[in-house]
Amino acid sequence: MDFKDTTILICDDSILARKQLKDVIETYSSDIQFAEAANGQEAIDKYKEVKPSLVFLDIVMPVKDGNAAVKGIIEFDNDADIIIVSSVGTQSQLKSAIEAGAKDFIQKPISEEQVLKVLSSHLEG
Amino acid sequence: MYAQFFGSFLLSKDSVTPEQLTAAISQASETRLKLGTLALHKYYMTAEQVDEVCFLQTREDKRFGEIAIEKGYLREEQVDELLAVQSPDYLILGQTLIDMGVLSNSDLELLISEYEIFNEIDDMSLENQSKTDRLIRNFFTFSGKELTEHALMYINLVFNNLVRFIGSDFTPLNPISCSEEHDINYCVRQEIHGEIDCYSRIDMDESTAISFASRYAKMEFSELDEYVKASIDDFLNLHNGLFLVNMSNAFSMELSLTPPVSEEGNTISLPDGSFIIPVIYPFGTVHIIVSL
Repeated sequence: MDFKDTTILICDDSILARKQLKDVIETYSSDIQFAEAANGQEAIDKYKEVKPSLVFLDIVMPVKDGNAAVKGIIEFDNDADIIIVSSVGTQSQLKSAIEAGAKDFIQKPISEEQVLKVLSSHLEG
Repeated sequence: MYAQFFGSFLLSKDSVTPEQLTAAISQASETRLKLGTLALHKYYMTAEQVDEVCFLQTREDKRFGEIAIEKGYLREEQVDELLAVQSPDYLILGQTLIDMGVLSNSDLELLISEYEIFNEIDDMSLENQSKTDRLIRNFFTFSGKELTEHALMYINLVFNNLVRFIGSDFTPLNPISCSEEHDINYCVRQEIHGEIDCYSRIDMDESTAISFASRYAKMEFSELDEYVKASIDDFLNLHNGLFLVNMSNAFSMELSLTPPVSEEGNTISLPDGSFIIPVIYPFGTVHIIVSL
């Protein structure tokens, strides 16, 4: 598959978490473009700016948290493909993210296998 | 988890000084367990017998096992068994302290049996988890503090996550109760809110932070840059996130987390009931500060 026109938005307040996720995605395809955001508000703004194919979104973030960002993005684009990446994988957290419009959930620490599975099902499926 | 607590047990018995313990932890990775120490641990030989065989080894060019068999202290199948069976890793720390000349064989013989009786490590009827719980409860009795169920779960998870994300080569010192001003170095705070409120902090000096982050991120850092800071934030956030998952699963308690932040200034004031656990790694000491 050709990913030259694919942009993925990575949103996490940790520069390390963003790098780790980017490193894994690059093993999937080196053609993918990246956009980054460090809080929920930036995520919404960046989404509107670059209209990415896929969003990886942390929950616990300053300014606006992940759940608020999901709502903001879905308001703008009902078809947004948002994957939550969080250390807080509780049932209630999962439920509220899915209800807000997130499509998938990855529990931190991320495993390469899990990220690659999500990429193939969301970018190719 | 037994190796980590053996160190604090030795401290509480005044068998070692904190400096000796720190030095031993740094050296332990290079220590090879000797047959005599293994035989002591299995009660196959007494410390006197081990000392005697070690002495004879200086005069004859023979292996420890050969001499011990000749003297009738060990049978051949016991030697084979000792060499084959995996030994508890806290023996490595004991061996290191013997090699350093801090402990004698007879000191170690006594300390091992006290440690095992104290924690009933021989008791195979218990699940591993409840053994670890008991180990941690015992660890806290030194500081005269009773642990709540939640606090026990929290501390248990701290040690598990240190093993999982940083490395098992640490020794926690006894928890210190603290309820006033406390001096800090590089300190990150994350709050848990909901049915219970908890302030968690992790504090260390700059060079320790760099090494800690290098291990966490599996990268080589050389200065306290944004990646080092992010690594420490991520460790604390990951740990607390997993705690929330456990609390949700075990008690159906839904809690929330604030984003991790670096503490400003050189001191923090802690509420009543706070405690600090210094955790010694070969690269430095990490302070886990919990107000729960």
